[in-house]
Amino acid sequence: MKFWQKISLFSLLTFAVIFNASSIMVIERNHRNMLRQEIDNALSINMNIRSSVDAVVPLLRIYNSIDYEKTVLTNIASEFVSKNSGRGSYLEIVADDHRSIYSNLDFEYAGSRDELEQLKPDEIKYILRDIGDRTLLFTSNVADINQKGYIFTYVKDLTPLYAERVDQYRFFIQVDLAACLLYVLVMFAVSKGLTRPIDKMVRTAQGISQGNFSERVSVRSGDEIGLLAANFNRMTDVVESKILELERNNAEKQRFIDNITHELKTPLTSIIGYAHYLKATKYDERLFLEGLNVIHSEGKRLESLSAKLMDLILVKDHLFERKAENVKSVVEELAPSLELRAAAKRISLDFQCRDAFCLMDKDLIKIVLYNLVDNAVKASAEDGRIAIRTFAEGPSVLLEVADEGSGIPAEHIEHIFEPFYVADKARTRSHHGAGLGLAICRSIADIHQASIEAASGNRQGTTIRMTLQALSRENEVKDKP
Amino acid sequence: MNRRILIVEDDVSISNIIKLNLTIVGYETVQINDGMEALEELKREKYDLVLLDVMIPRLDGFELMERIRPMNIPVIFLTAKNTVFDKVNGLKLGADDYMVKPFEAIELLARIETVLRRYGKGESVLSFQHIEVNLDKREATAAREVVELTPKEFDLLVLLLKNKNIALSREQFIERVWGGDYYGETRTVDMHIKSLRKKLGLQEHIKTIYKIGYRLED
Repeated sequence: MKFWQKISLFSLLTFAVIFNASSIMVIERNHRNMLRQEIDNALSINMNIRSSVDAVVPLLRIYNSIDYEKTVLTNIASEFVSKNSGRGSYLEIVADDHRSIYSNLDFEYAGSRDELEQLKPDEIKYILRDIGDRTLLFTSNVADINQKGYIFTYVKDLTPLYAERVDQYRFFIQVDLAACLLYVLVMFAVSKGLTRPIDKMVRTAQGISQGNFSERVSVRSGDEIGLLAANFNRMTDVVESKILELERNNAEKQRFIDNITHELKTPLTSIIGYAHYLKATKYDERLFLEGLNVIHSEGKRLESLSAKLMDLILVKDHLFERKAENVKSVVEELAPSLELRAAAKRISLDFQCRDAFCLMDKDLIKIVLYNLVDNAVKASAEDGRIAIRTFAEGPSVLLEVADEGSGIPAEHIEHIFEPFYVADKARTRSHHGAGLGLAICRSIADIHQASIEAASGNRQGTTIRMTLQALSRENEVKDKP
Repeated sequence: MNRRILIVEDDVSISNIIKLNLTIVGYETVQINDGMEALEELKREKYDLVLLDVMIPRLDGFELMERIRPMNIPVIFLTAKNTVFDKVNGLKLGADDYMVKPFEAIELLARIETVLRRYGKGESVLSFQHIEVNLDKREATAAREVVELTPKEFDLLVLLLKNKNIALSREQFIERVWGGDYYGETRTVDMHIKSLRKKLGLQEHIKTIYKIGYRLED
């Protein structure tokens, strides 16, 4: 059974029980009061008759004649009856020897009238009897006149009272049905309204379980369901972003693998192709040298690629240890190999290093520095200049490598840190590059929670800047020339 | 008339080695290293077949394929990726075949020949010096005289003619002529070659290449 149906049904049952019970109690109490009143009334009328009779008893004592007594009693009775005629009131006077003195009863009562037995003077007995379809109240007392007992029975027809009760019940049932119907309708609407957000959440959850992670519940209320919906949405946000992240990571990895495949297979195709050609065709000196050249340079390219991949693996799996180091001394340590690299193109290195302390893994920062200088050398013309700067600036330590070379066109600048991205394919080829150097630098920067960015104008040289977090400010010392 | 093949490949070395292999067996080639230029070239000139690298600048191989499909030019894709996706994608776009790098020259030449024949551009008559081979009739003539050849000898001759000036190993002969599931001795090849030389008077032209195999030379 649906939740809203449960709410409606249970509240309807509760309502029906309480409403019916209280209504019945009210009707019954009302009826009882009326009955009590009628009985009191009948008793007092009976008392009245009795007192009228008591008033004439001295007279009757004087005459002491049964006939006279009968006449007097009949007179009193008929006077009373004429006063109360047509209101369902009856009077019966019976002598103790069962002689009927007076009676205007218009019905026969077959049963025994136990209340008349052992009736004591100054005592009124009453009883309710159902005769035919009528309900009658019998009130009896006995009057002693000249040693003879006369039983006065006043009978009141209470049928209207009972009819009234039936009437009230009839009316009550109508009201009850109408009330319950109205209640059910209201409860349906209310419980439907209350559970609609739950339905929405159920549908949304189903949508999500079918893989539609961008679905959200639109419930805007401040109650617990609204709260649940808000939390549900927050949960879905997290799940969705995690899944997107996983998908992105996956796609990135796939792209990386595709790129490696491509970078491995391209030189291999040339090497295998030329080797086979040289092997299978007639010797031709020009082609022989051309082929060997290609095989050699493509082999170098593979070597460089494998070295870079090793670096990348090193960075990814490296259990790096950050220690407080001076960037300047890292540069100084690496300076000889940088000079050697630059010498190949007679490039002069201009070291502008100030002390700058930060937490770093020295070996990784050396990889960054070497890669940046290597790139700068490749981009520079012969006899060019490359500036290497380290300095502290506010809370940051900066490491900059600036060349005066060919620069990077604006459309490539934002991609150059992506693995295998190369701005100038032909030039990269001639340097055996695979587009991994800057990707490695960025991975290392990420490990150090540092940022790395490039600034370049086409034909204006390139500056790559790595921004690390400084260790503390007092370590800043003036640069020594 | 020589058949013209357009090589669209941005790696210069690969492009060159393909050109060398195609030229040596007698195709005419043009090299282009970028998708847009290739499109222009194909609109301008008529080619019998295109060798198309997937990862080329400006307009990649798949896009270029899409554009040239109405021209009904046979296309063989060259790709570094051998994932199922690329194969399906390439062939769905209407490519006739694909080659996964790195590939062997003999394989490339065989695929090119197969595709060309499918387009009715295959040569039905191969000629070399005084020899003519009619592929449809499976008939070989030397100085206009019909020479009786066994089926294997005929296939061997065709393979030599199609890979003119390229040395083939005994294993390659066996794979191509006898089929990959032949486990006989490579001596069989030597016997057939000997017989071919004698029947066709090719003693001077079918050279034995030390440690490799045989080569048909002009």
